[in-house]
Amino acid sequence: MMMKKKFAALGIAVILAAVSLAGCGSGNTNSEATNKPTNAAPAAEETSTPDAGNEPAKLTGDFEIQYFVGGYGDKWWKKVIADFQAANPDLKIKESSGPKINDQNRPRWIGGNPPDFVYIDGPVLNDRQMVEDGQLEDLTDWLKDAKNVDGDLITDILAQPAQQFDGKVYNIPLVLNSWGVFWNKALFKEKGWSEPTDFASFLAVSDKIKADGITPFIHTGKYPYYINGSILYPAIVSANNNDYTILQDMAANKVEAFESPAVLAALNKIVELRDKGFIDKASIQINHTDSQMLFLQNKDAFIPNGLWLPNEMAKDIPAGFDFGFIPSVTQEAGGKVVANTSTSTVAIAKNGKNKEAAKAFLQFIFSKAQASQWAELSGAPSNIKGDISASNAPSFVKDAAKYLTDPNTIVIPTITYNADVDKAMMDATDALTISTITPEEWVKRVTDAVKKASK
Amino acid sequence: MNSGTVKWQRNLFIASFIVPTLLFFGVFTIYPVAQGLYYSFFDWSGMSDKKTFVGFDNFVEMFHDPIIWRAIGNDYFLVAGKIVGIMLLATFFAVALTRFGFRLAGFFRSIFFIPNVISVVVIGVLWNFIYNPQIGFLNGFLSLFTKEQVTITWLGFPGHTIWMLLPPAIWAGIGFYMILLIAAIQSIPESYYEAASIEGAGQWKQFWSITVPLTWEQIKVSILNIMMTTLNGSFVIVWIMTEGGPDNSTQVMGSYLYQMAFRQYHFGYGAAIGFIILVLSLITTIVLQRLMRHDTVEMS
Repeated sequence: MMMKKKFAALGIAVILAAVSLAGCGSGNTNSEATNKPTNAAPAAEETSTPDAGNEPAKLTGDFEIQYFVGGYGDKWWKKVIADFQAANPDLKIKESSGPKINDQNRPRWIGGNPPDFVYIDGPVLNDRQMVEDGQLEDLTDWLKDAKNVDGDLITDILAQPAQQFDGKVYNIPLVLNSWGVFWNKALFKEKGWSEPTDFASFLAVSDKIKADGITPFIHTGKYPYYINGSILYPAIVSANNNDYTILQDMAANKVEAFESPAVLAALNKIVELRDKGFIDKASIQINHTDSQMLFLQNKDAFIPNGLWLPNEMAKDIPAGFDFGFIPSVTQEAGGKVVANTSTSTVAIAKNGKNKEAAKAFLQFIFSKAQASQWAELSGAPSNIKGDISASNAPSFVKDAAKYLTDPNTIVIPTITYNADVDKAMMDATDALTISTITPEEWVKRVTDAVKKASK
Repeated sequence: MNSGTVKWQRNLFIASFIVPTLLFFGVFTIYPVAQGLYYSFFDWSGMSDKKTFVGFDNFVEMFHDPIIWRAIGNDYFLVAGKIVGIMLLATFFAVALTRFGFRLAGFFRSIFFIPNVISVVVIGVLWNFIYNPQIGFLNGFLSLFTKEQVTITWLGFPGHTIWMLLPPAIWAGIGFYMILLIAAIQSIPESYYEAASIEGAGQWKQFWSITVPLTWEQIKVSILNIMMTTLNGSFVIVWIMTEGGPDNSTQVMGSYLYQMAFRQYHFGYGAAIGFIILVLSLITTIVLQRLMRHDTVEMS
């Protein structure tokens, strides 16, 4: 009996020890992890001078760059990092990259030991959330008079300004892509349809398309941010006298912005498409790839998408298919085209150990030479002003760049909505396209989400 | 050698088996569950290095969240649908392939088992193609019988898209439980059936009076297993096929957990949903076990 009790006690002791050890284990690795880079940090601080902006100071120590590899590839990153390394031979640059890097590095961001520099792209990372989490360095003051390696003021060469969160800047847009509506020019020519320039002509040609037995419009209901980004948001701006600050107010969770008549007017345009039977019924259940395949097969005439579409579907584009593109179709006749941009940004980690090197890297990549280089190597327009017409960039990238720099285009700068509100808007738009709710209910639902999110 | 050392050795022997298992169980099961419960008391984005303790707020909020209720409803709908569908078909096939001894039984057994070898992800993609309104098999098949092309959006009904997730889930599950029941039926001595036929019992009577009681343990295990794997694992098929949409109509607890924790940055809330899944699984297991308690029938 006694023995049994002893063993039971022993067993419990072993378990307790194991559990506490497990606790210790993670504790240890944490403290170790936080200790390690602090050794490197002083070295960096000692050698880098504070006025790195004007004179290329000698950068030393470790410098780690995290970049997600997705649709834009990693060619540009490899090239620009190699160039930066060549310019700073004493700096030990480490690349953390890949399609899963955002997940892989997540424990380090949580543990307060992030890489120094981060490219915010791909799922998982959301700049607004990172700002709210206090993960990003406040760049407001630095950016005011930061000059790049060529001596140009960085803010001067940005095609689109950085997004402000409560008046502060934390990340700088690197890519400048645009949402919009595509069609097949070859098909339009063959059928004698006219290309849309505004909402009235869009409706008129859709009527014809429908009469010719083709469904006018397909989108991906599984990912409703395509229709929101390409139709709804530009429509809201058009209905708001081309003033995009309404979207910024929406992103700042201001309820009044959502209740504005411009939002209802925009929603009613989607309702009009729905009620005229222009929206392909398949849309609600399919993903972006399926919707794009149907579009490429000419089963549907228009598709809301981003400028990466030709690149993304390059392997499946049938011979003779010719992409037509307009950033928005919801403006009144004679009104300005509204381009809702889609960007990916770069930022410095607040808990980064080598912020001087990170700032120097920002000064290095935001230079005019990179505009063409980014466009060529990634197949997307860069957010750096610069003439890329002479570069080897794909022609649709050049076209897009033309659109985005045209004085007659209203360009909406990058805007990130609160994740909860964004989801509510996506769900509500989906519901609107299949007639389960009215535009008023859309507003009610989304404002409820806004109120809850800003609590 | 006194009895003390014998006992000591015996206990040491037992401990050498139990302690390592217990250790691993503690580190890889108990500890994560405890951590999950711990996180559910925090408001944490899952990315931040700071967490705010909020007590039971996540659970209170869940109570007022209509989507979580719909997710729980969908989960139990799938549990009920899968139990009925899988058990009916698996039992039917098992009996058909054992009791009626026709020649191709082995072949059909392999055929029915195939979906179990395929990853759920592949099954989801496959059924997405079947359900595709434009190029899908189902509409293509139905169009054979109609004048006009059928364009039903199988996964786009606002109200009951969840029904459409039942066929793939059932189809994917039959094989395993069929094999389990086949093994059980084969262990029933043939003489029982012979005696029954001599006494004048038909196939139906034999099924209810011999097969079901003597395979009851396996049926019970199957039902419990279907319930548990559905509550914990229907995430995969939902996420692959609909991501919980359209408009959250096919959300289950697992998919909503993922949505909240990783897409909307409410990790604490996600952890709370995870805890609810655990509690509901436990309660359902106990309830089902009570309901299916049955006098053990001994084969002698």
